[in-house]
Amino acid sequence: MSLLKSVKQNLRVIFMAFEIEFRQSFTDAFVLFGIIVQPMIVAFMALWMLRDQVADYAIFVVVGSGMTGLWTTLLFQGGNSITGERWTGTLEPLSCAPAPLRAVVSGKLLASISQSLLSIAFCYTFISLMMGLPVSIAKPWLFAGSILLTVVAFIAFGLIIGSLFILNPDVQRFQNGLEFVVYIFSGFLFPIALLPMWTTPLSYILTPYWAARALHAASSGSGSNGEIYFCWAMLIAFSVVYAIASKFLFKSILRKAREDATLNMQ
Amino acid sequence: MEKLKLNIKIFFEGAYLSYVGLFRWLRPTTYLATLVFSPLTQMLFFVLIGTYAQGNDKAYFYVIGNALMNAAMSGIYGVTMSIGGDRWDGTLPYLFGAPANRMMVFLGRAFMHILNGMIGVLIGLMWGWLLFHMDFSATNPLALLLTILVTTFSTAGLGLLMGCIGLITRNVMFVNNTVYFVLLVFSGANLELSTLPKWMQVVSNYLPLTRGIASARAIIAGHGLADVSRLLVEEFGIGLFFALLGYTLFRWFEVTAKKRGTLEVF
Amino acid sequence: MSAIEVSNLQRDFQTTIGVFKRKKKTVKAVQGISFEIADGELFGLLGPNGAGKTTSVKMLTTLLIPTGGTARILGLDIIKDAEQVRPRIGFIFGGERGLYWRLNATDNLRYFASLYYIDPAVSKKRIPYLLEMVGLKDRADEKVEGYSRGMRQRLHIARALLHDPEVLFLDEPTMGLDPVGARELRQTVRNLQSEKKTILLTTHYMFEADALCQRVAVINKGEIVAMDTPTKIKDTVNDLSVVEIEVFGIPPETFEKIKTLPVVESASVEDRDQRQLLLVHTSKSAEAIPLLIAELQGLKMGKVTAREPTLEDAYVRLVGGE
Repeated sequence: MSLLKSVKQNLRVIFMAFEIEFRQSFTDAFVLFGIIVQPMIVAFMALWMLRDQVADYAIFVVVGSGMTGLWTTLLFQGGNSITGERWTGTLEPLSCAPAPLRAVVSGKLLASISQSLLSIAFCYTFISLMMGLPVSIAKPWLFAGSILLTVVAFIAFGLIIGSLFILNPDVQRFQNGLEFVVYIFSGFLFPIALLPMWTTPLSYILTPYWAARALHAASSGSGSNGEIYFCWAMLIAFSVVYAIASKFLFKSILRKAREDATLNMQ
Repeated sequence: MEKLKLNIKIFFEGAYLSYVGLFRWLRPTTYLATLVFSPLTQMLFFVLIGTYAQGNDKAYFYVIGNALMNAAMSGIYGVTMSIGGDRWDGTLPYLFGAPANRMMVFLGRAFMHILNGMIGVLIGLMWGWLLFHMDFSATNPLALLLTILVTTFSTAGLGLLMGCIGLITRNVMFVNNTVYFVLLVFSGANLELSTLPKWMQVVSNYLPLTRGIASARAIIAGHGLADVSRLLVEEFGIGLFFALLGYTLFRWFEVTAKKRGTLEVF
Repeated sequence: MSAIEVSNLQRDFQTTIGVFKRKKKTVKAVQGISFEIADGELFGLLGPNGAGKTTSVKMLTTLLIPTGGTARILGLDIIKDAEQVRPRIGFIFGGERGLYWRLNATDNLRYFASLYYIDPAVSKKRIPYLLEMVGLKDRADEKVEGYSRGMRQRLHIARALLHDPEVLFLDEPTMGLDPVGARELRQTVRNLQSEKKTILLTTHYMFEADALCQRVAVINKGEIVAMDTPTKIKDTVNDLSVVEIEVFGIPPETFEKIKTLPVVESASVEDRDQRQLLLVHTSKSAEAIPLLIAELQGLKMGKVTAREPTLEDAYVRLVGGE
């Protein structure tokens, strides 16, 4: 099979999984909460808490609270992407099909992330209008590029989260806590300079940190183009590393599930 | 006298069983993750935004607000799950068939979560002391404890109501999450209530937690019990109102379910 | 070459017992089974619940790694060549899970078609064809959550056939279906066989295996206890009848003596409170009953009955009066 054909087939799998997930999750109240209600409340609170500074920072708060919604979606949807199929009994047929499970999960993640982006766009327009905050993007093209790379990097990160949660259920117990930890260390709503120095390396190894930095810089115009390109490079590097790592992780979780008879759980 | 003894027994049996049932899979890591780690990250996030906006002097405001939110965490999620759990385990018919005093069964379910919530609040305040050097020197400890008890009670009252709504609707978690986040906004845990729009202040007035947080802030700042007694009485009254509403709904549900024979269906 | 070759296949499970003091226990679900299925054959794996049927099928469909032994499908090893095996087999497991309930039948199939790399032009024709074949054409646009159990089962079959596999595994396909649904499903299986597919079917219904399969292996407690055509397996039981006698306090020596009677093929005693139930397999019940009663002279006796053997009796005979 030629490489081109293989790429085309797997892209088709990703888009199909995207379509299926997109349509299914719009009827799931739990997903709707994570994607719409929670980010809206966080955004409202952040805007209100920061309103005295917001005059210049409106776009900072809007982008930052958007990132919180995006991360929460990824943490919960990505974290449960494989486990969920295991409970519905569909992981067996999925893992037996020739298409790699990674392609399926990528498509599902793309769906969740797109939904999150849509809801962010919607709820910020709404809130900004309601609160009368001026929202304009300083560097629209670089902003669009940053969004695209953020989506790619988040998908790659989601693949890792989903498989780690299966490999080590103890990590999953901290799922709720990881939500705010990443909000904090990624500098979504306040600069990480507020944090103690020793935590800075922790921020640097988080994909969401680089995504937030690129998006903040491009939207508020506070950063130079060079800084944005540097963040892009980091996002690309993380995506590549995660994509390669996920290949091995998926192989090992599927192998382990076949050994432990945990492909299907009731 | 015998009857009283029996009711007390039923109360504690219900308390014990519902708690054990809920944390059936409880391990030290789970407890740490859900009751220590997760609330801490949430507190840090809001304290950091708050101090970013208004400077370090305001840290206490957010520490106290978020510490008291732990009461809502136990009150709402804990109590709801221990009521909803009956339906999932299929033990509801057994409960309705038992001659036990319903009120005792019902309150027994909330009791342990009130205790748990109080511990959560204390842990939260301890973080404030450890991480933000919060000053308790002017605080009347008994008054603070009473405030915590009353606040946890009133959120558990709301939890009882939510639990009963959970018995009727299918999306317990959706309802819970929404209520929790509504409290996060309206209780004044992170927002200065007086700055909010009028209609939001009206809503705040009818919710549990609002007065509890205000009272805790006052006591820690050095006010005496007499200054907050009115707040506490009202907070208690609100909790009682929601608990009674929940109890009425519970009885109604029992009668309807028996009449229609839908105990298992639900 | 046989389509399926299974040699000494084994699978153990580790289970933990107890909540606080966790103890590990090994359960041998499949203990070294061997058989071959010819190209185009419909082969039945027959056994009671928990006999190891599903575990065997899961190993053969590459969903479970065996703890011992080997198996080849179309000449490919199920562990080493799992990737090559998968596109060439199809499987369904009894029950209703494994489908997307919030989607309709067509979308479920479209999804899996893409996962099997089926060209959209091909699947556009194949999906309606399969829906028609399993009798879901008229309700293809309804969500699966509104389907009956039988409809879901048939949708599973359509899904398994999407990529036109050469070998099919059907694990208890009629489980939980009403009689009409089960009959329709059996007709579907017959149609598949006429398409020259190699099929491994598991069931705990003797008559189902009888009606469909060319050969049957009887599996019990993870071991194959008999393998032949259904007719021959039935023959081993058909001559048999079972005599049941209720007795009170049968002495061990009397029981030992009964076992040695020429008319008695095998015998067993089951305790029922203060009384026992003596079960005797014999080919000549008319002769055996008076002889047995004579042996039990002096003991208090209850009901005496002779009945046709059930599948369970066949097992008793096959495993030697266990």
